[in-house]
Amino acid sequence: MSDCGCEKAKRELEEYLHHELSGMDAADVREHMETCADCAGEHRVGLVLTEVVKRACRDTAPEELRAQVLVKLRELQAH
Amino acid sequence: MTLTLPVRVPELSFATMTSTSDPIDQTAAEAEVEATIEEALDDETAAEDAPATPDAAELRRLFEEQALPFLDQLYAAGLRMTRNPSDAQDLVQETFVKAFSAFRQYQQGTNLKAWLYRILTNTFINNYRKNQRNPYQGTIDDLEDWQLGGAESATTSAISRSAEAEAIDHLPDSAVKDALQAVPEDFRMAVYFADVEGFSYQEIADIMKTPVGTVMSRLHRGRRLLRELLTDYAQERGIQVGATSRRRSTKKEEVPE
Repeated sequence: MSDCGCEKAKRELEEYLHHELSGMDAADVREHMETCADCAGEHRVGLVLTEVVKRACRDTAPEELRAQVLVKLRELQAH
Repeated sequence: MTLTLPVRVPELSFATMTSTSDPIDQTAAEAEVEATIEEALDDETAAEDAPATPDAAELRRLFEEQALPFLDQLYAAGLRMTRNPSDAQDLVQETFVKAFSAFRQYQQGTNLKAWLYRILTNTFINNYRKNQRNPYQGTIDDLEDWQLGGAESATTSAISRSAEAEAIDHLPDSAVKDALQAVPEDFRMAVYFADVEGFSYQEIADIMKTPVGTVMSRLHRGRRLLRELLTDYAQERGIQVGATSRRRSTKKEEVPE
């Protein structure tokens, strides 16, 4: 292929990140990023974005909610 | 501490959407969701007439054992949907009630997590979204990128990207949560399902009842908005983005965590 592959990689970066690409396409993107700092940098931002969202969304349900759900389930079972 | 993230994104969208929202489509969409829920609960009506059998307790134990471990996750998702703890609690409780009522129809061995998320999403749409003043289901996806604000940052150099990644990585959770809340709901939830829950595009399509192509578009736009909000936030806090040398201003001390 004569072009640098950036266009294809950029288009598929998000799918690559979410493991949605087929093995061959994923390999293409991976290979491209080894030599393209631009796309590798873009991928890094994508990974960090996923990471911070994951980190920020670790909420724990209040104990009272667990208790309420258990009570509800027992009520429903009795019906 | 109050964060002042640029909220131009949803506000602009709401204004645009109010004028384009079709009330007939809205009602049809709601009726469809209602029908799905009924579908899921349908066979249960027959079961309810039967006297409580000894295996009712067994079923509850099985449900508790399998579904209750998802309580924290569903609550976290509920928080992203309703944007307040009290509504999130109600939503999750309702979800468990519905899920348990339909649990006989749940096929053991299939994806319980996705099934629970689907009920959560349906319940949210039925109970909450129709109460909102600006329901925009079915229209947000039709908006052009310029209507959502911001633009693809095509000019960012590779060097500034690594600074951007670094800056985003150091933001406090509270800033990330606030930014998420500022992203329109459908986009926000697509991001949540993919990035936090790790659902596949197909699973998200099933949960949100939308084609995979729409999921991809929502994800892409949601992540782009989020990135812009976070980068802006970092810049406002004096964290250098887009330069080789990073300088942290003294303001950083005020950032919680």
